[in-house]
Amino acid sequence: MGRFWSLLFLLVPVLGVGSFAWAVADIWPMRNHWLPEDISVHGVVIDSLFNFIMYLTGVIFIATGLALFLFLWKYDAARNTKPVSFVHGNHVLEIVWSVLPAAILLFIALYQMEPWSASKLVRPTSPGGDIIPPIAEVTGRQFEWRIRYAGEDGQIGTPDDLFTVNDLHVPKDEPIVLAIKSRDVLHSFFLPNLRVKQDVVPGMKQYVWFTATKNGAYDIVCAELCGWGHYKMKGRITVQDREDYDRWFEQQQAEQNLTELASR
Amino acid sequence: MLWRRYFVTLILLAAVGGCDSPSAKFELSLPYLRKQEKDASTEFTLDQRQGLADILAALFGTPDAPYIPAGGGTGIEEVLDASKLRMAAGAVSSDQEGAPHGLYRKHCAHCHGVTGDGMGPTAAFLNPYPRDYRMGVFKFKSTPKGGRPTDADLHKTLVKGIPGTAMPSFRLLADTEIDALIDYVKYLSIRGEVERQLADEMAFELDEGEQLEVSGEFLLEDVVTTVVDRWRMADSQTSQVVKRPEWDEEETLASIHRGRELFYGAVANCVKCHGNTQLGDGQRDDYDDWSKDYEDLTKVIKRDDQKKVLSELAALGALMPRNIHPRNLREGVYRGGRRPVDLYLRILNGIDGSPMPAAILKPADAGPEMKGLTSDDVWHLVDYVRSLPYESLGTQATHDRQYKRSRM
Repeated sequence: MGRFWSLLFLLVPVLGVGSFAWAVADIWPMRNHWLPEDISVHGVVIDSLFNFIMYLTGVIFIATGLALFLFLWKYDAARNTKPVSFVHGNHVLEIVWSVLPAAILLFIALYQMEPWSASKLVRPTSPGGDIIPPIAEVTGRQFEWRIRYAGEDGQIGTPDDLFTVNDLHVPKDEPIVLAIKSRDVLHSFFLPNLRVKQDVVPGMKQYVWFTATKNGAYDIVCAELCGWGHYKMKGRITVQDREDYDRWFEQQQAEQNLTELASR
Repeated sequence: MLWRRYFVTLILLAAVGGCDSPSAKFELSLPYLRKQEKDASTEFTLDQRQGLADILAALFGTPDAPYIPAGGGTGIEEVLDASKLRMAAGAVSSDQEGAPHGLYRKHCAHCHGVTGDGMGPTAAFLNPYPRDYRMGVFKFKSTPKGGRPTDADLHKTLVKGIPGTAMPSFRLLADTEIDALIDYVKYLSIRGEVERQLADEMAFELDEGEQLEVSGEFLLEDVVTTVVDRWRMADSQTSQVVKRPEWDEEETLASIHRGRELFYGAVANCVKCHGNTQLGDGQRDDYDDWSKDYEDLTKVIKRDDQKKVLSELAALGALMPRNIHPRNLREGVYRGGRRPVDLYLRILNGIDGSPMPAAILKPADAGPEMKGLTSDDVWHLVDYVRSLPYESLGTQATHDRQYKRSRM
């Protein structure tokens, strides 16, 4: 066997990098395996952070993989007759491999602070400086998303609320805030195209926000294993122009207030 | 090398033994058969049971290859579409054009069961239990008590789901897929109803051990047609909803007030089950019709042999019966839909299979001495019920709830 193992281990960095490159190049059968289309304002920052961390860890991953291969290759037992000599530690080396990762981690922590606070801590405000209230409340439930829109009064929890299920509509080019909750277990509210992902914890109300820049229908998925039906917990978010959104809203509300049987 | 020999043996074993699971099949309704045996004080022989299964298979096919009873005159082709059934039945797959097959097993069977008996693998973990279609009884529909649901009713349940239960919304399925599933549910239901009718026949009309008559005429004319007719009539049975008068804000408040009086009054008497505080805390020891199918559990519970009855049921494979609770009207969760028209239908027609009774409708000009509710009265009740989630229970000043991490 001998050097067979060192070559096998060389496959780890080769295949690892290869599969990434394949997905990024978007060639069959790895089509649609890389980042989905970004239709949000803040997505550029999130994606660049993602890429930065990926390249950083990528370089280290390749270097480690190559080092592992070189050592296996060079010190193959079948080709080395020299007895093993033990080292009792190397102070300088230990300081280097402690300080260097620490410095990198600290750098990442500081570098991502701004995007983190913008997407998780500081809620968007209206031109007047007021915090924008949530347009709707999305409640995760095994296995669907129940949505409750604030009605004309802008308040959720009043008789003019609009109820839908798995069907979220938002106007384009406006900062949208959603309140997200869970009725039963842990879920994760994930809008891949809007670069929004937030665990939903029972008993806790949280807010997510984004500004969508392109009309169309996109996925809402659950990104936290929540039970046997997790895979089918899928909704649809429709981004549309303000007028279309208003029309949709009115039509839904009329349907919800129906007081006679419509003929089908 | 030794390990290589083991490896080859393993592969050969897998090839010979195969990894196929047995093909899906319809099960007989054992609790119902047992009940009929008891009622007729007889005992079905194995041959008789096999005969019943054979007749059902001859009429309706198998889960992989369903068909609708052949032979004219039953009108079943008005209710079921064979091509839709094929789309919904069978194992999960898609054909060369990418059209899906096996929709029922993909989306429904894990709760509602391959037979539509509401006993899929996940059923025992759900509360309420998934619906057993075989009685032909459906709760949320626009037809009067005892009537079958219309396609539009089943469509609404599939698209909107049933909030407050484990039934999710299937809104994102294509319309053709939803239509296929509707037909398949009706197919399972009709098949189940026919099975029950045949079991009745076996219990009460035949001598002990006598085989069911396989004569096509009797089967099609007497049994299948009776069952199918109920489904055919559904559309024409749809209840008349008298449109709610256009009440202004003040009149609506008066309507809510009147609804409250009716709620506590002797005619509607909603308070009996839904409770003094509308929390659904009135009568909570009743059972639904599916639980009562084997034996009336409300009576059994008072007898000494209740444990015996329950263990009999368990031995027949039934899920442990649970009490049916009246709805908590303050939650704002409406299983049959939240549109005013949905609530109107629930009050007007009651809820099939549950203790919720239908209203007795009287003409609008009838005096108070006549028993029943006018359509306006029903709307008053609807208005009252719709106001409940927003009505404060106590007299304390309400305050906005503060969430620790709400970052408002």
